[in-house]
Amino acid sequence: MLVSVRPTQAKLFNGEEFYLENGLQVIVVPNHRVPIIKHMLWYKSGSADEPLGKGGVAHLLEHLMFRGTHKIPDNKFNEIMDDNGAESNAFTSLDMTTYHQSLDISRLEMAMFLEADRMQNLNFSKEAFEAEKNIVFQERKQRVDNNPAAYFGEAMRRGLWQNHPYSRPVTGTDEEILSLTPQDVMDFYKKHYTPNNAVLVLSGDIDVYTAKKLAEKYYGGISKGKKIEKSDTPVIEPSLRQEISMSRPQINSVSVVKTYAAPSFNFMPEYQYALSVLASYMGDGDTSKLYKKLVLRDKKALVVSVSYDGVADSYGTFSISAVPQDGITPDELIVSINNAWAEALAELDEKELSRIKQKLLAGLVYLKDNPKDAAYIVGSMAVVGIPLEEIEKQSDKIKEVRLVDMKKAAALLEKKSPQITGVLLPDGGAE
Amino acid sequence: MSRRPIYMRSSHRGLKTFFVLALCVWGGWYLYKNTFVFDIQKVIDASILKEKFFEADVKEIVSPKYGIKAYLLEDHTNPIISLNFSFKNAGYAADDENAQGVAVLSSSLLTEGAGKYNSQAFKEILENKAIGLSFAADREDLNGSLLTTKPNRRIAYELLREALIHPRFDAEDVERNKLQMLEALKRQKEHPENVLSLSVAKEVYGTHPYARNPLGKERDIRQINAEQLKSFVKNNLTRSNLIVGIAGDISSIEARNMLDNVFGALPENGNANFVRDVKINFDGRNKEIKLDSGQNMIMKVAQGVARNDADFYPLFIANHILGGSGLNSKLSQEIREKRGLTYGVYSYMSIDGKAPLLVGAFSATADKFTQADELFEKVWLDFGENGVSQAELDKAKKFLTASYNLRFASIQNISEILLAMQKYDLGLDFLKKRNSYVKKVKLDDVNRAAEKYFNNNLISVAVGSF
Repeated sequence: MLVSVRPTQAKLFNGEEFYLENGLQVIVVPNHRVPIIKHMLWYKSGSADEPLGKGGVAHLLEHLMFRGTHKIPDNKFNEIMDDNGAESNAFTSLDMTTYHQSLDISRLEMAMFLEADRMQNLNFSKEAFEAEKNIVFQERKQRVDNNPAAYFGEAMRRGLWQNHPYSRPVTGTDEEILSLTPQDVMDFYKKHYTPNNAVLVLSGDIDVYTAKKLAEKYYGGISKGKKIEKSDTPVIEPSLRQEISMSRPQINSVSVVKTYAAPSFNFMPEYQYALSVLASYMGDGDTSKLYKKLVLRDKKALVVSVSYDGVADSYGTFSISAVPQDGITPDELIVSINNAWAEALAELDEKELSRIKQKLLAGLVYLKDNPKDAAYIVGSMAVVGIPLEEIEKQSDKIKEVRLVDMKKAAALLEKKSPQITGVLLPDGGAE
Repeated sequence: MSRRPIYMRSSHRGLKTFFVLALCVWGGWYLYKNTFVFDIQKVIDASILKEKFFEADVKEIVSPKYGIKAYLLEDHTNPIISLNFSFKNAGYAADDENAQGVAVLSSSLLTEGAGKYNSQAFKEILENKAIGLSFAADREDLNGSLLTTKPNRRIAYELLREALIHPRFDAEDVERNKLQMLEALKRQKEHPENVLSLSVAKEVYGTHPYARNPLGKERDIRQINAEQLKSFVKNNLTRSNLIVGIAGDISSIEARNMLDNVFGALPENGNANFVRDVKINFDGRNKEIKLDSGQNMIMKVAQGVARNDADFYPLFIANHILGGSGLNSKLSQEIREKRGLTYGVYSYMSIDGKAPLLVGAFSATADKFTQADELFEKVWLDFGENGVSQAELDKAKKFLTASYNLRFASIQNISEILLAMQKYDLGLDFLKKRNSYVKKVKLDDVNRAAEKYFNNNLISVAVGSF
């Protein structure tokens, strides 16, 4: 039985959504070019939901989800996927854990069966647990220890996020990974892997009626889990102004990064679209304001870019990064960035605003072309609570941004947002 | 006649017992299978969504005026047009010995202004109209791509044509791009995997231009001038070495006219540098490079085959089973899944016509590295000696054929494939025939290929602490 069906108008993705009685949210994005489908199950829990000291448990669980259930033991899941030509994988981030497969449409039911099965019946061996613990340890070494700039990224996050769970690495620290037990993993699994804590996205050669029938058949029988009370995340002092500097032997060149704890869909959402437009105006591409000023006119930076991510359970992040030209010190570059920013803000007028909106809207049609990309975009937004209706109306939301909204958003960033400025240097400092 | 031979009785009873026993065994097996071992095939067979044939109707088109050929796949799902094209043999290996970086610098400058549009004017149109135009020189070719929405196609074609015919190479843009390239060169060595791949190229290709750094040479980059860039364009961007793939919301007539409009003004022929053949000595040598890193990384290189070689499909399947299939590959099973010694171990084919290679690679912390390396060697050599089973071959074929449609996910993916079909001369009917090429490979073919290519004749290069 379906609780509610909410068809939406033809919009960005032409998606449709419905909920099963057990609370599972299902979003269908039809694309009939090729008989393939992306099947993606998003859990609304990630590393930020881990108990203190159990860093890495969400990620280790993600690995162990490929290590067997009562019905599909050991390595069977991967074998079945292979036998049927599926590209299957998963990822863990701060706010979510996602399992996904790209498949021929004739194999969708198979994937739904397997995904529903491992939502309820996880059963890995002790050997598999030990092996995966070692694998995620090696993964951390490969991703972080083999990437000198990643240390800097971790230090930046610790500095900005303080005692907020976003300060902790998704992989967990070395010590945490090595101390995790099967019980830790099962506790996290039992608490978080429930239909009412998940979003299912079906993107590809399917219609909503078939999708409903199949979602009900495979996921409908799973009983609802206990409601997860998200603990209140710590508020970071808005006046926090951190500065860090780090030098590493492998680093050959200077980087400057300034990051703000910014609004998001779940935290002061009224600012999010203004911040998107602001980021694009300031530093998206080679014709943005900061590029024109810092790279072309003042010759202080070689590259500069600005990005904003407001798709988060808690704070969003707003970031400016730049590389100085030869002979420019990091401090000089930071001053130049601040000056260029202020100047660009003063130049912001209706004409600039309409140009930047046009630029943001022009490429939206590309987003739905690839069913894999569409599934990713829709799912990552839905899993933090953005309603499908709003996802579909991105262009309206962008169009609604006014000049005054952008000025307010910029003022909020500058004056009332925690921020950190970091400099990464070669050993011995800048040349 | 009253006596029944005992053997008959006993045999009759035996038969009965056999049937009863057989029934019990079968019943037990049936129960076991349905209760404890789940048969996923039943779910697949009962699926209401059946296999569909994806008809990829690729046409070859020829432009009316200049006779420029291209492959086209018309698709009107979304108002998007995607073009991929290559100027063959215009890659960085063809740069003059003392001008390494010209091909790469030229390709990045092609989107820095052309004709009446200076760099900012040019890029503003691209960005404001969400037109994706980019060029990149790899070792062999200079590749380009254009992605545009249908309403913006006319200006998109104009910008592409201007970029090819009238690139400006304004002094300030040249200088800035040189500085950015030099910066990329500095940052490249921050990553152990880049240090490894540069070292492998040196070790494998020696003094051949394939050993070059893909980002060029610092001293050469500093000295490149606008004349060199212009002459590179004149000599390498021509109609005779051009191949084009087009996909999306465009009719055949429109595509033919577009070819004339965009590429027609290019010269017919140029004067490209010739890159000599490669000779590699796969003599089993090892090289270790000390580097302070979290893990050791290793790459192993052996003789491979070109895309059109008779051994291509047998080796393609063999490689899939050994190290190309992700977590179920033999290498992954032994080194990652069973023992947790690495996060990733894999092998792949590099099908470059001049130097086809088989490559294996993994990374592991120093304490696990030797064990992983010994296992790698054992699995690799076992594979060459013992080959694969019929069951393994069947599984690999199932994956390779069943996953085939996944590569047509986007219009860009499709135009890339159309380009590759021409680059490797796979034929206009390739998309229709490809699965049959995989299916007809026999066990003997795969095992012959395994024996021929997976042996001790490797070159190994590792970076890390040893």
